[in-house]
Amino acid sequence: MISPHPFDITILAAIATAMLPFIAFGLIIVFFRGRDRIAAGISIGAISAALLCALFLLIKNWGLTGPILYTARWATSGQWTIPIGVLLDPVSLLMLTVVCAISFLVQIYSLGYMAGDPGFSRYYAYMSLFAWAMITMTISPTMLQLYIFWELVGLASYLLIGFWYEKFSASEAGKKAFVMTRVGDVAFLLGLLLVLLHLGNLNILEMNGPAVGGRMPPATLTLAAILIFGGVVGKSAQFPLMTWLPDAMEGPTPVSALLHSATMVAAGVYLFARLFPFFELSPSAMTLFLTIGTITMLMASTMAMVARDIKQVWAYSTISQLGFMIMALAAGGYFAGVFHLTTHAGFKALLFLCSGVFIHHFGTNDMFELGQSGGRSLKIPMICMTIAAAALSGLPPFSGFFSKEAIMAALAELDNPVWLWAGFLGAFLTSYYSFRLIFIMLFPRKSEEPDHGTVDDHDHHEGGYWPMAWPLIILAAVTLVLGFGQKGLDHFLMGTMTDAARHGAEGGHHGWLPFIAVGLCGIGVVVAYLEFGLPRSAQIGFVERMDRVKHFFAERWYIDRFYRWFLDRIIYGGFSRLFTANDRKVIDGGVDGLGRSTVEAGRRLSDLHLGMIQYKLMVLFVTMIFLGLYFFF
Amino acid sequence: MPLTYAAFPFLSTILLACVAGLLIILFLPAEREREIKWVSAVCSGITLAISIFLFIAYDQDLGGYQFVERIDWVPSMGITYFNGVDGFGLPMLLLTGIVFFTGVLTMWEMTLRVKEFFALMFLLVAGVFGMFMALDLFFIFVWYDVSLFPMYLLIAVWGSTRKEYAAMKLTLYLLAGSALILPGIIYLVINAGLNTFDLLALSEPGLFTPGQQRFAFLLFYIGFGILAGVWPFHTWSPVGHVAAPTAVSMIHAGVLMKIGAFGVLRLGMTLCPLGWQYWAPLMAFLATVGIVYGAFVGLSQTDVKYVIGYSSVSHMGIVGLGLATVSVDGLNGAVFQMFAHGLMTALFFSSLGYIYDKTHTKTIADLGGMLKTMPVATGYFIVAALTGIGVPCLASFWAELMVFISAFKVYPIYGTLAICALAVTALFILRVVQKVCYGPEQQRFAGLPDVSLGLGAPRIILVSVIVIFGLFPSLMFDMIQTATIPFLDRLP
Repeated sequence: MISPHPFDITILAAIATAMLPFIAFGLIIVFFRGRDRIAAGISIGAISAALLCALFLLIKNWGLTGPILYTARWATSGQWTIPIGVLLDPVSLLMLTVVCAISFLVQIYSLGYMAGDPGFSRYYAYMSLFAWAMITMTISPTMLQLYIFWELVGLASYLLIGFWYEKFSASEAGKKAFVMTRVGDVAFLLGLLLVLLHLGNLNILEMNGPAVGGRMPPATLTLAAILIFGGVVGKSAQFPLMTWLPDAMEGPTPVSALLHSATMVAAGVYLFARLFPFFELSPSAMTLFLTIGTITMLMASTMAMVARDIKQVWAYSTISQLGFMIMALAAGGYFAGVFHLTTHAGFKALLFLCSGVFIHHFGTNDMFELGQSGGRSLKIPMICMTIAAAALSGLPPFSGFFSKEAIMAALAELDNPVWLWAGFLGAFLTSYYSFRLIFIMLFPRKSEEPDHGTVDDHDHHEGGYWPMAWPLIILAAVTLVLGFGQKGLDHFLMGTMTDAARHGAEGGHHGWLPFIAVGLCGIGVVVAYLEFGLPRSAQIGFVERMDRVKHFFAERWYIDRFYRWFLDRIIYGGFSRLFTANDRKVIDGGVDGLGRSTVEAGRRLSDLHLGMIQYKLMVLFVTMIFLGLYFFF
Repeated sequence: MPLTYAAFPFLSTILLACVAGLLIILFLPAEREREIKWVSAVCSGITLAISIFLFIAYDQDLGGYQFVERIDWVPSMGITYFNGVDGFGLPMLLLTGIVFFTGVLTMWEMTLRVKEFFALMFLLVAGVFGMFMALDLFFIFVWYDVSLFPMYLLIAVWGSTRKEYAAMKLTLYLLAGSALILPGIIYLVINAGLNTFDLLALSEPGLFTPGQQRFAFLLFYIGFGILAGVWPFHTWSPVGHVAAPTAVSMIHAGVLMKIGAFGVLRLGMTLCPLGWQYWAPLMAFLATVGIVYGAFVGLSQTDVKYVIGYSSVSHMGIVGLGLATVSVDGLNGAVFQMFAHGLMTALFFSSLGYIYDKTHTKTIADLGGMLKTMPVATGYFIVAALTGIGVPCLASFWAELMVFISAFKVYPIYGTLAICALAVTALFILRVVQKVCYGPEQQRFAGLPDVSLGLGAPRIILVSVIVIFGLFPSLMFDMIQTATIPFLDRLP
């Protein structure tokens, strides 16, 4: 482990990467509200510099032998020092680069997409806030720092989802996202405290070290692992806290691309990878995670099969791919999970940004309407989206193919074949729903409805086309190339792992796997083509023919209904109402009653002093009786 | 504990600034409103400046009570004018200075009986400052009562929403509190038999038997706990918050509730450490109930100020939980939470006060789209809300974190419950933010002016302080630690 001097160039670059967006955020919020051009300039300048620093760090430390750690004191309480600092190791360097790169591209893209929006400068302020929080979270050396910036990332997400706050659905979605992830974070915090109690600190390197197993009893360790995983479930929208993510699509599309597909929701997976050796100590917890990942992956795929909203489809697919990553990691495929995170960040951001171009241009989210209004006439986004969809489906030679192959290999290593089958099923569903969308857009049916695109409000068209097109082209290129970097990345990521960890984490090689997986993806594409692509097809999927099932999937398996019921009946109608009634009637009522009875008693007593002879006589008489009783007995 | 006498009576100067402000205002004619406001701003500014100076000038390596002033007042009864501050008192002085100054600035636009209002404010704040610096039981009690009485008038005359009821309720509650505190003080002073009210002399270990300590601590805990909003003695506080005018709400929730917690700390825990340890489980239980209960009741309120009121109950529960842990982390967190919560509620009421002044409503259902109507003023409100939720890098996050860490260690079940309440807190505060700030702009509020830079000054100050202490928590922890570590070392 290298603990360099604070003025080491590596550390300075890392600090600059984190702090530049923060400075940009501060400047915009304090001085440049409403100054659109300056705000965008500052924000993009900061993120470009951060990206350069991140690339510099990645290149400089390519082939790193041990983690680079630098910490300073943030606060002290009692014997406990809370550090703040930088931890650079392969996974954080990789994530750092991904975050900076996608942030940079999305911010460029937003110049076009958000042009003319009244909240333009606010948008860039929030984007910078997000970049700061996400970058600092990525390079955290302790779980506490990670937790802190994890929460801040959640805040940025809340602000950006509710960016168009005048829309009720947007503010509602923001609130839902915040509260639902908060539920996961509560578990996360509890898990961290449990670790803190036994370990005395939350340094990531120490938590991942071999000593943890000896210092925490196995049951406690499993409990802590499961609780910490609660944070992953919330942030990465895993079952059962998955439903906030589709709603989060209320935010501007670039936000969906950056936060709710490529980077922020991947933070959960990143956390999993970050603490991978720690989680690995508890096999039962890992099995639970594997189950959760699988359930999520399949459930979300089914939801994606019936959605009409283009962003919803990608949102469900994000959930489903995150489930894939969790499956990979939980199966012990460390490299597979992280690799899929990386490739997914690229092609999913691309999918959203392409969709954004369509939405921006035609003013609708509905894929049928987009097709009918001539979506395919926008060549660059249409081609890029097809490339990205192919990558998502896992078709060679796109990046997704390589990472999904790695995942399947990891799943094949498991003793129980059911996980691999689930993975295959997921791969089939993925390619089916992705190409369902692509074919609907490519081969639109004529409709009697008037074209939506032409009657749309015109303020959508203000933005320039090229700021939006360039990021697409770059991302598409990355999607094409990234898969071939697998060997190099593998070497880079696994370089610091010990041999034992390496063995488990890399998975074996099954020559037949790619053929089955690609075959299944191919079948998915073919089925989609038969149902949606063929000139005479009805464009109704096999799921959509079954009304009940369709409804069930479209209603998100009634998970949201359940939460609504729980919130209304148990939280609002139960505890809240009960406690409020108690406050009004019992506590306050008791106090007011005490007050009233005091006044009443005073009135009674004052009656004795009215000067009426009969009262005086009565008092005299009663007193005599009491005195008599007292003296004689 | 070391005592360092002051070369210059800074602490008395703070009190003198309050008295001077009071006197000048009394001699100014009532129609000179501008001058009255300026005098208030200057005098409160002086108190703030001295508080900041003391906070910085305090020698943390030396620790103990510093800037001590001591004059025998009634030697036959052992009453001395005895002031001094330590790591507990200084954050409170700073808080009072900030909240008072920003409170005065918040009321810059008021027109109703300006003279009387500011005069009473000075009286109130003099009591608060006195309470935080006094080291003599007699003076602590006197200052405590001085700070209570102006509240009655301030709420009954300048308040809103059932103001007479609220003012009476608050006064009766707090008097009931002092009816417990005074016997507690007398009980200890007589049992000590030293003929002194000197806090330091009385806090010598072994002076009181465990039984005496238990009894006296209970008196102090309930007496001051009423003021700190301890469940189930909390119901005066939301009602009072709602009825009070903006600056009074700020001082009330921001500072007065801290007097309660500070009283428990300074009298109860210092004088009766055994009683504190004995009753700590009860304190933890009541505090946890308060945290959870406050959050749930806050969910169903229809008035924004009530929501803030119940959030105060919940957040002050965190202070109580921290005090109950009998640990360095817990105490650090509790004192930090007093400070952070004070700033947060001050910001809450200050920003809401502006919205209320313009829209004349604080009913949640009537408001909406305020972010569109007055983006800056509403922005401050949202910052306050985020602080209340415990967003990191804002002051109260650190306080809550420390309390949770130690509570989880000492009382695993209560700690877990308190942490789980975080989710409910987020829900009830965000619900208000959504209903008040978001949504389409309301036609009847269209064109209402947003807060200007000058009028926004108090909110800017509060936000900056919240952010500074949120980013650099060691500024506060290092200060508090100088008191907590020796304080706990003293325990048997």
